[in-house]
Amino acid sequence: MFEWLFNGKKLRENGVLGMNDRNYSVIAKYNKRSLYTLVDDKVKTKKLANSININTPKMIGIIEFQYQVKNLLEIVKGYDTFVIKPAHGSGGKGVLVIKKYDAEHFYSASGDILSFKDIYQHVSNTLSGLFSLGGKYDVALIEEAVNFSDVFKNFSYHGVPDVRVIVYKGFPAMVMMRLATKESGGRANLHQGAVGVGLDVRTGHPLNAVMHNKPILVHPDTKANLMDLRVPFWREHLIIGSLAYDMTGLGYLGADIVLDENRGPMMLEVNARPGLAIQIANGKGLKSRLQEIDETYPSGLSAEERVDFVLNH
Amino acid sequence: MKLNINKFFTVRKVLSFLLLCSIGYSAYSIYYKVKYWGFSVSPKAVTDVWTVDAKISFNALDEKVQVSLAVPNDKDGFKILSEEVVAKGYKVTRDKKNSRIILDASQKSGKQNLYYRLSIYDDAQNTALNSLLPAKIDRPILADEERLQMQKIWEIADSQKGDKVQKAILAINQEMDNPTMSLILPINHTSKEFAEKIIQVLAYKRIPARIARTIKLEEGRKTEKPDIMIEAYLDGHWGLYDLNTAKIGLPKNWVIIQRGGVSLLDVKGGENSTVVFSVLKSVASPLKMAEHRAKANDKLWSYNYSMYTLPVFEQNTLKWLMIFPLAILVVVIMRNIIGVSTMGTFTPMLLAMALVRTGFWPGLICFSVMIALGLIMRAVVAKLNLLLVPRISFVVIFVILLIQVLTVVGYRLNYTIVSSAIFFPIIITAWIIERASITWEEDGAMNTLKEIFFTFITAVVTYFVISNEYVRHVMFAFNELNLVILFVVMLLGTYTGYRLTELLRFAPLIHKDN
Repeated sequence: MFEWLFNGKKLRENGVLGMNDRNYSVIAKYNKRSLYTLVDDKVKTKKLANSININTPKMIGIIEFQYQVKNLLEIVKGYDTFVIKPAHGSGGKGVLVIKKYDAEHFYSASGDILSFKDIYQHVSNTLSGLFSLGGKYDVALIEEAVNFSDVFKNFSYHGVPDVRVIVYKGFPAMVMMRLATKESGGRANLHQGAVGVGLDVRTGHPLNAVMHNKPILVHPDTKANLMDLRVPFWREHLIIGSLAYDMTGLGYLGADIVLDENRGPMMLEVNARPGLAIQIANGKGLKSRLQEIDETYPSGLSAEERVDFVLNH
Repeated sequence: MKLNINKFFTVRKVLSFLLLCSIGYSAYSIYYKVKYWGFSVSPKAVTDVWTVDAKISFNALDEKVQVSLAVPNDKDGFKILSEEVVAKGYKVTRDKKNSRIILDASQKSGKQNLYYRLSIYDDAQNTALNSLLPAKIDRPILADEERLQMQKIWEIADSQKGDKVQKAILAINQEMDNPTMSLILPINHTSKEFAEKIIQVLAYKRIPARIARTIKLEEGRKTEKPDIMIEAYLDGHWGLYDLNTAKIGLPKNWVIIQRGGVSLLDVKGGENSTVVFSVLKSVASPLKMAEHRAKANDKLWSYNYSMYTLPVFEQNTLKWLMIFPLAILVVVIMRNIIGVSTMGTFTPMLLAMALVRTGFWPGLICFSVMIALGLIMRAVVAKLNLLLVPRISFVVIFVILLIQVLTVVGYRLNYTIVSSAIFFPIIITAWIIERASITWEEDGAMNTLKEIFFTFITAVVTYFVISNEYVRHVMFAFNELNLVILFVVMLLGTYTGYRLTELLRFAPLIHKDN
């Protein structure tokens, strides 16, 4: 019952990265604090990404002050769908996806019908910092909704499947796909019960899948065989991750990428402190992978060259 | 490319070095405080303070009066806390050389009562007496008959154990029924007569000896006659001997009133003089005695710059603060070594602090009820869709009113469990409620309860560490340990090993490869 207490040695042997090690040996060393603002503010991230031609959902507008909320309909004029998200949010908190709307009613992606008052309330909450890191005053970012590609339709229960690429010194190091479940409430957070599928960084093929830290083979809701999961535009996914390094300068980052039916892979956000659950999804330790990059990978390559190096290595 | 010098000065090595320095410093400081200030590791340690009262009474003869009383000498194994003389109209002088106190008055008549009071502490067993002068003695000139007696006594004495003085004492004690003895000492003798006889017997062997008066320190003791012992000069130094057991040296909790064979009390210009000694015992904490000890050890300067000289209020505040670093260390260990996640970094610590004031179970029950009520109220208010700041403000005010109601009701109905609500920090309580209700909405009840549970567990562990009487005493009395904690915490900041909970979390990564 308590044999797990003696797991330390084996975990070390398997090159598993622990939280303390990640914070001390990786983040503190390769992620300068001053760079955090680039990724903590989604408006900044988006502008930065667009400046080096990384695909992101198109920004429609920003609401900075309460009085601007009444102009919402004017702002979104001409767009069929839109998303309101807090610029400083994390983990999908406070993200409201509107699929359809008229002057009175707003139909959200999760199936709720909201009044303008509800939207007003939501934006107010966003501005007062309810969803932001540390409760600071925030701005609401309004952007075009992603037209999710149908390829993942059978692998996700509602919600947004996304690809998380861990990029170390510009090299894609480890990748997983996060699939929403009924239990996760349509969200892609593993600790809320989403499924994590580890993907081989060279081929993009599934290695292993977990839910609540336990291996699974089929999606609990759609019953799709998770090992059949294939990600189109694999190289493009990796290039976005690799470019995120050029864009932010963060030595260790997690890029969240979604696939748009028309525009291909798009970067949703960059995380300066990506979690360690990806190891469990991959069934592999991250530390040994980081060491491999440290010791044998060349420096001075462009983003595409780095991705090609990874793909061919 | 790294230079070797960088390798030598890694953060971890520098911190380890500083940690060792702080341990060294603390060890010295603890030694210093124990040795010179008399601090104790145990909070229960007490110092016995003995008060010896001498009441001198006599009838003055309407003429010039001089009273001379033998008093204890502070070089004989104890420290003097205070010394006072109550003698109205008398001039007090001290004769340090002969350890006497002299009271002079020009003219007195009638019954006189004079008081001398001495408070001493740290009375230690004392085997070696301060040497007075070396002494020589001539063999007394004895009649034949007496000489024969002496020879007989020494024949018996030679079969006894110990040095010559012990032999003589044991011989006379044991052979009391022997006809030889009864000749030289009546059956109903006083201890003074007994002592004088031993002095005679020792004189026969040319061993100088004389009477010493001592008092056994016993609570509530009252006596006119101090205990008589013998001091004898043997092998170049003076030794003190017990008349009954012949043991050498002054036992613990005895104090020598007078040495050197002189009188205990001399009164000129008075008659019927008596001196009555009474002994009282009181106890004081080592912290209270520290100033006296520091002074006695000539270390007052260091003591004056310690926090123990501050007014009581400031001291109590600091005593409370001195426990914080340890509580912080517990939190660091719980989070970075064990790996439990809590609501807010130091929330569990503040919770533990409140539990110390309320008591464990009353506090825990009361706090759980407060959180539960707060969560229910917060759930009701969630429907109103208030803005963030007003909503949190609502929770804070609700908690304040809740504390007020619980305290008043608890006090009236005499339920301490209920009234202990007042000790919980308002903002922390409100924060836990707000945070819990948001986690509840976003991550579900399970995750919320888990987070609350771990917050409580961390608080409880912290509580058990800081509520320990010994721990609190040690962290206050030996506050330099906080420096050690400081560097331990910093060194833990470089710990890159797995957290305990990660061993379980990452367990799937082991079975994969095996």
